[in-house]
This record gives sequence, C-alpha cells and structure tokens, in this order.
Amino acid sequence: MRHVEQVMGTAVSIELADDRPDEELRALVADVCGWLHEVDARFSTYKEDSEVSRLRRGELTYADSHPDLQHVLGACADLWRATDGYFDAYAGGTIDPSGYVKGWSVEVASARLAAAGCHTHYIGAGGDIRARGDRVWRVGVRHPWQADKVAWKLAVTDGAVATSGTYERGGHVINPRTGRPATFLRSVTVVGPDLTLADVHATTALAMESEALSYLEKLTAEGYESAAVTEDGQAFTTPDLPVVA
Amino acid sequence: MRRSTAAVLGTLTGVAMIAGVRMTVPTQIVPVAEDAPADAPADAPADDDAAPADQGGAAPAGDEDEGGDGGGAASDTGLTDGTFKGTGAKNAYGTIQVTITVKGGKITAADATYPTAGNSATINPAAIKKLNASALKAENGDDVDAVSGATFTTGSYRESLQSALDKAKV
Repeated sequence: MRHVEQVMGTAVSIELADDRPDEELRALVADVCGWLHEVDARFSTYKEDSEVSRLRRGELTYADSHPDLQHVLGACADLWRATDGYFDAYAGGTIDPSGYVKGWSVEVASARLAAAGCHTHYIGAGGDIRARGDRVWRVGVRHPWQADKVAWKLAVTDGAVATSGTYERGGHVINPRTGRPATFLRSVTVVGPDLTLADVHATTALAMESEALSYLEKLTAEGYESAAVTEDGQAFTTPDLPVVA
Repeated sequence: MRRSTAAVLGTLTGVAMIAGVRMTVPTQIVPVAEDAPADAPADAPADDDAAPADQGGAAPAGDEDEGGDGGGAASDTGLTDGTFKGTGAKNAYGTIQVTITVKGGKITAADATYPTAGNSATINPAAIKKLNASALKAENGDDVDAVSGATFTTGSYRESLQSALDKAKV
C-alpha cells in the first residue's frame, strides 16, 4: 500500500509492503500520518501556536514543554557540541530545530511501524528515506542538476538515506564559521542505520563546505557511507557506499 | 576606560583564537592587559593569563611586525598609535586577517576580514585519497523505489521523480 501525505511543508511518501489486510495497513498509515501531524503541530516554525513558536516568544519554558521538545532541544545541543558547532539549531539567530526534527520524526515513525508488526516498509519525507524489511529497497540519489535523473542507485535493506542540498531551497544551510549560506557542496547524501543521524550528518557536511570530505570519511567508521557533489560538479563517494547498477 | 579597553582586547583575543590568527600586534599591548582590573568582564584576559597576543600565538616584539602604518609615539598605555594587521590565518575558506586601530593609546577599532571569494579553497588532499572521485552520472530513475534528494516543498514535489514514482505505484 502506498500513500502520500502533505505534512511538515513537504510530501511524505509511505509504502507498506507486508502482506496484511488492507484495513490493517490503512490503520498503520493513519497512525504514521497522525504522528507526523502531531510533530508538525509541535515543532513547526511556520505555525504561530506551535510549541517552538511559543518557546521563541518566551511564552513557553523548557520545563513546561512536551518531553519530545525537550528531547529535541537536548539532542540539538549535544550535536552542536559533537560537530564543533557546525550543526547549529541557532544558526538563523533563534531556535530552529527543523534540521533535526524531520529525520528524527521519520525514524520514530518507522520504529512505530516495526513495533506494530509492519516490518517491510519505507517512508520518504521530502527526500529523506527510512527503509526496512526483508527485501532490498532501491533508492535513487537525485541528480543535483537534473531533477528527473539520479546520480546513484543505492541498495538499502534496513537503513536510512538522507540528502542535504542547495538545489531545492537555495542556500538554506549556514556555515557557522562564515555566517553565510554554505555553497561549496551542491548535495550531500548519507547512508546509514539511523535516519536521525544520517540527516544530521548530511546537513552538517553541507554546512562544513570544503571540510566536509574529511568529516564524511571519518563517519564511515560509524557505519555511515556517503556521496558528495561539489558546486563545480565533482563527485566523491566513500568506498563502501552501497551502489547498485 | 581601561575596562572597556580590556573588553575590546578580550573580544579581539576571542576573534584571534577562533580564527587561529597568528597575531603580530606589537607586544606593547601586554601591559594594558596585565593592568586589567581583577573584576574585568569574563572575556577579558585575566592577570595570570598569558598576554592576549600570546594566546593568539604572538611573535616576539618586532618579529614579523607588518603593522604600524601610523607609527605614532607610544602613550602611557603602552600602545602605539596606528593600524596593526595580523599576518592572516589561512583556513579552508580563505584567509582571515585581524586588524586593530590604536588612537591616543587606546584601541578604537578591532576588525576581522573574512574571505569573500567563497570556496576557492582546495579540498583536503588526505580526505580525497580515501574517497572515490568520479564524474557525476545521470541515470534514469524509473527502476528505483524511492528517491533521496534535498528537501522539496509541496510545490516542487509535484515536479519530482519521487512524485512520478508515487503516481506509478499507487
């Protein structure tokens, strides 16, 4: 069963591939969508009444915020330290945890599906993918200049593929060292076990600009493979990127 | 007065430390820092700290001193009037150079220039060795299950390969 949900300012594609009655699959899709809308309502920086917006205006304290928001704020702080400040939820001058929330919320959604016995599925949220199951999912990496082409095809059985790039929304990732939009890389794709981290690593690498390749190389020791394309069209991949023909 | 100078110095030292700039500001700065009041702001150098110039990796007095286009007399603060430039630190983004201006024995301006040309920097060669460099390919994506790409908006989703895949399978 396939479903596309408009949520979090993007389109989320869901495919459940387990052989189960339609009504069960429909209920599972509804549960995933309900969760994503709950996340959007709480974390959106576009909704005036979200907890993040209220936190920004000083109307909500950390102590009074939902445990999920507390978790996200704590994780962003940890990642800021772990990445030497390159993953910066405050880069825009005020708290914006969006760079963490999408990957994390999809990782949680996929875990909920697995806990409900739906073991073979994928969720793709605006280009960030979490796939599971007893089959191989073929994930294309969008060509950074040609929207209808892919630059690589990856085989994923249980894992995540996240891409950060400048070609959809312009220079939305700030390099905190320069204070300006990161422009060195056109796109960074990270493949690994957890979508939360894959997404964070991709965003961090994009922000690092020319330092990114060293960073991506080090991530291979943690099980994260990657592909990066520079603005001038050079492509770099880590040795164990699961590329298929 | 002295306190604000200490604060400026503290800020300057901070800039220098962040940028990793090899400061070649004359070491006349040192007495000012050491005279800073004990209750100076937290970012000001403490008495027992190395002089701020040293924290930035200062050269000995006179060594590699590029600055000093003013060349005025030293005041009772020990600072010589003029404009002083650090030698500049190269990092991945280009060269960062710190400049201070001293007037009447006081630092009146502290500035750092950052590269504006973007990323002409070379890529770390050690990293390249461990990664595979290749020409970018453009393949048809009609045989994939999903597409990973930069986050699209609901508008650009309609034009995306992912959207085409979704339509084909629903």
